[in-house]
Parts: sequence; structure tokens; C-alpha cells
Amino acid sequence: MATTTTSKRPSLSEWFKTVTFYEILVGMKATLSHLLNYRPVTLQYPHEKRTLPDNYRGMLALLRYDDGTEKCVGCDLCEAACPSRVIRVVSAEVPDEPTKRYSKEYYMDMTRCLFCGMCVDACPVDALGMTREFEWAVYDKRQLHLNKQQLLAIGDRSFPVREKRLELQHPNVAFFNVAFKHVPPKPN
Amino acid sequence: MSEFGLRLAISLTQIAAVMGIVIVTVLILTLAERKVLGWMQDRMGPMEVGPYGILQPFADAIKLFFKEDIVPAGANKLLFTMAPILCLIPAFIGFAVIPWGPNWKFEVNGISVTPFVISDINIGILYILAFASLGAYGIILGGWASNSKYSLLGGLRSAAQIISYELNVGLSIVGVLLLAGSLSLVKITDAQAGGFWNWYLFALPAPQIFAFVVYVISSVAETNRVPFDLPEAESELVAGFFTEYSGLRFAFFFLAEYANMVLVSCVAAALFLGGWNAPYPGTIMALLGVPSLAWVENTMWFAVKTYSFLFLFFWLRATLPRLRYDQLMRFGWKVMLPIALGNIVVTSLAVFFYNQMK
Repeated sequence: MATTTTSKRPSLSEWFKTVTFYEILVGMKATLSHLLNYRPVTLQYPHEKRTLPDNYRGMLALLRYDDGTEKCVGCDLCEAACPSRVIRVVSAEVPDEPTKRYSKEYYMDMTRCLFCGMCVDACPVDALGMTREFEWAVYDKRQLHLNKQQLLAIGDRSFPVREKRLELQHPNVAFFNVAFKHVPPKPN
Repeated sequence: MSEFGLRLAISLTQIAAVMGIVIVTVLILTLAERKVLGWMQDRMGPMEVGPYGILQPFADAIKLFFKEDIVPAGANKLLFTMAPILCLIPAFIGFAVIPWGPNWKFEVNGISVTPFVISDINIGILYILAFASLGAYGIILGGWASNSKYSLLGGLRSAAQIISYELNVGLSIVGVLLLAGSLSLVKITDAQAGGFWNWYLFALPAPQIFAFVVYVISSVAETNRVPFDLPEAESELVAGFFTEYSGLRFAFFFLAEYANMVLVSCVAAALFLGGWNAPYPGTIMALLGVPSLAWVENTMWFAVKTYSFLFLFFWLRATLPRLRYDQLMRFGWKVMLPIALGNIVVTSLAVFFYNQMK
């Protein structure tokens, strides 16, 4: 036999343990104890579901105010913040209000999304939200290219309680892209 | 009916019964293995088909029947087809000499019938060993005929492994044969009657404990089970010798492995654990005043011993990682073989002096 390391002569107890397969018996005792104190850690998934934590990051959604207007102002910050380039925003001016913009088209390629939540952090008007929906297995990847209508629909069903419009929440705060219809003009 | 016809009918009935029992056992095992492994690993095992997944074996069978059966391009078609059958036949043929109940004989029209053993031949255990080593052909040919490197490696590993460990199985049994003075499984089982202290695992003058350990380890290796599942080693060889097999041919390999497990367990029960004998003298049925029902108790004990041995297979599988190939060979030749040979020497001396003293 090739001389390897400095071989210590095994003590009597080590020798006895080797001969009686002591380590194997310890392992078998462990597995048997798991059989006898059987506590499964698995869930029968489609039948029973885990309660998700409150900060669970599931499918992304676009949100609305309680009067139904979209929160999104088409600022492109989510697109800039996204590390894997999931989001594509095409913004446009609101026809009646020249100072106000909105997202004319809004696409998300959920096949690439990491669910990091950076777009939600980046959004200045809280127009994006992370729902707790996670069952998005599909047979065709193209079904995960979501458009604005789909994202709004997800938001509608996941956040039934909506906020008031920003200008109604904070009547005295000036927002650069919000028309101040509710503030009475200064008397001359 | 002629005498030959009657003999044939009786034999065929017995064969059908034993085959049925074995196949049902295999069905139970396929479920039990997954369940036991699951329980030991804090999982549930199959749960979807039927209550608690009880119908899973049938679902598996249906799936295997309807899977596409592929013969790879460049495979030797004849050998590829023959290999699973060559594997299956030796696995089933050994059950012919297993006594799974009391040693009864009665006459039907002058033909003696032994209801609990298909045929009590004088060289029973030798017959089993001979056919068990034939099973290696199926595995090697399957590996070779697949025209795949992984399969070939699996088959070659299996060849070396089965030859090495077959030797140890044979040698570990010799001690029992010396004590019993017979190769017939019926006679060996009968000699162990009357309580567990008469089983050859514990019996004076030479308890076969070391031989039993050697037998257990070698039989695990011989049936290609974890931790000695090197011929299939899915993390190294995809699936080893049956990588290219699908559908029913794969099912035959699967069936053969499980039938081999059952056979090995039956032999262990018969040789070391007293076969169908209860661990106490006599039978409870006789004490209760129904000695005609003693066979129920005795076959139950045989089943209990066989199934506990099968449970050991699962238990080992849940516990141990796979051995490396050189470790396997070194362990077989340098550890198991000397122990088995030493056991033969000690048992021979013990039997010799025991007979001198008598």
C-alpha cells in the first residue's frame, strides 16, 4: 500500500466501532427515529397552500385610484430601475390636460422578471405593486408577456381597496405633473 | 386424467400461486419503498392516486405499458430484447425451492403434493445460487446491447460486482450448510424448528451472526441496491445498464430487481431466521385447539421475516450514500471474503468438536 499520511494506530474503541459498523448504525438510528416520529414537512400543494408572508413578492400589477384613473404617469423610472429589462413603457400626454402624461402602452416580460421589487421602489406615485399571486405556470412563454390591460386587471383583483387620487390625498402639495383644478386661483 | 396430466396441473397451480404472490409482493414493494423512504426523509411519498397513494403501483404499471418502446439505433436488437427477459427469468425461477409454509405432504391419486413448496430438491440452495448468478448475464447483455457507453460501464460494473459478491453469498451460506448437513431448504428450515434459539443466526454450537452480516451486505450488493447500486448509479451513469430501456422492457428490469430482493429475503429468512418457524416452540394455533390452522401462523411468520428483511433494504437505502467503486471491490475482497472464510473454519471446527462430544 502506498504510504499516505502518518497513520495513527486506531485505538481499541475506534477499532471496535469500525468492526461493528458503529457509524452506519448511528445513521440508521437517525433514519428510524424520523420514521417513528414522523412529522412531514411537505404540503400537498394543490390541495393545501402555505400562508404567504405579508411582504411576499409575487406577480407585479399596475394600480388605480379609487375613481378608476390609472396611477401610472409614464415617467419611465421603473423601466430605468429594472435590472433585467422586464418593463417597457411608452408614455404619452393626456389629450385634455397638456401637462399630464400617462403610459400609453406598458409591457412586462415576466419570463425574465426576478421579482426584486426595484420597479416598485422606483415608482414615485406607487403605481406598481407586488401582488401575492404566484401560480403563473403556462404552456406557452408568450402568455407571460403582459400588456397594460392585463397588468391593470391583476391590480384590480389583487388590491380591491384603492387609494384616492394623490391630489385628493394631499390637497396642499404641489405635484409637477398634476393639474391644480381644486386649488382656487389667487385673487388678483 | 392421466398421472402426468394431474402432476402437471398441480405443479402449474402451485407455480401460478407463487408467481401471483411474488408479483403482488413486488407491487406492494414499489409502493412501500417510496412510502418508507418518504417517511424516513420527512416527506409523504406518493399521495395522489387513491387514498394515501395506495393505487400508485397500478398507475405505474399503466404508465409503463403505454410508454413508447424504443430500440436505440445501432443496438443489437436480439440481445436488447433478450436482456430484460434474461434478467427476469433467474429472478423468478429461484422461488421454486423456497418453502414458505410448513413441510406438509399429502397424496392425491398416488401423487405426493407439497403445498407450501413447489419442489423440494436436494440441492435447493445451490440451485438458487446458480440461477442468481445467471441474472448477471441479463444486466451485462443489456448494457452491451444498448450501444451506449454509460450502459456498457454499468454492465461491466455489474459483472465485477455480482461475481465478487456472489462469492461472498456462497461462502456465508456454507456455515449454515455445515450445521444443517443438507442443501435442501426444506430440511434446513425443519432443522431450525422450536424457538428462535434454534435459528442458525443464534444456534449452538456455532452462531452464524458474522455469516448473516456478510450475507446481508453481499445480498444488498448482489441485488444492486443502495449503497451498492453502482451498475445503475444515476448520478454517474444516467441510469446505468438500463439507460436506453423504456416502457415494458424497463419494467422487466425493474420487476427483476424487486423479485431478486424478495428472493434474497426469502433465502435469508429460510437459512438464518428459521424460515416459517415461529420464534417460540410450537404454534399458538395448536394451543388454541385449532392445529389445522397452524399453517396460517407459520406462513405469517415467514412473511414477517421476509418483509422485515425487505424493510432493511429500504432502511439502508434511506441512510447510506453510494460507495465508490474501488471501495466496493476492496470491501468485498479484503473484508467480506476473509470473514466468510474464517466463519467456515470456525463453524467446521465447532461442528467437528460438537459431534465428537456427542
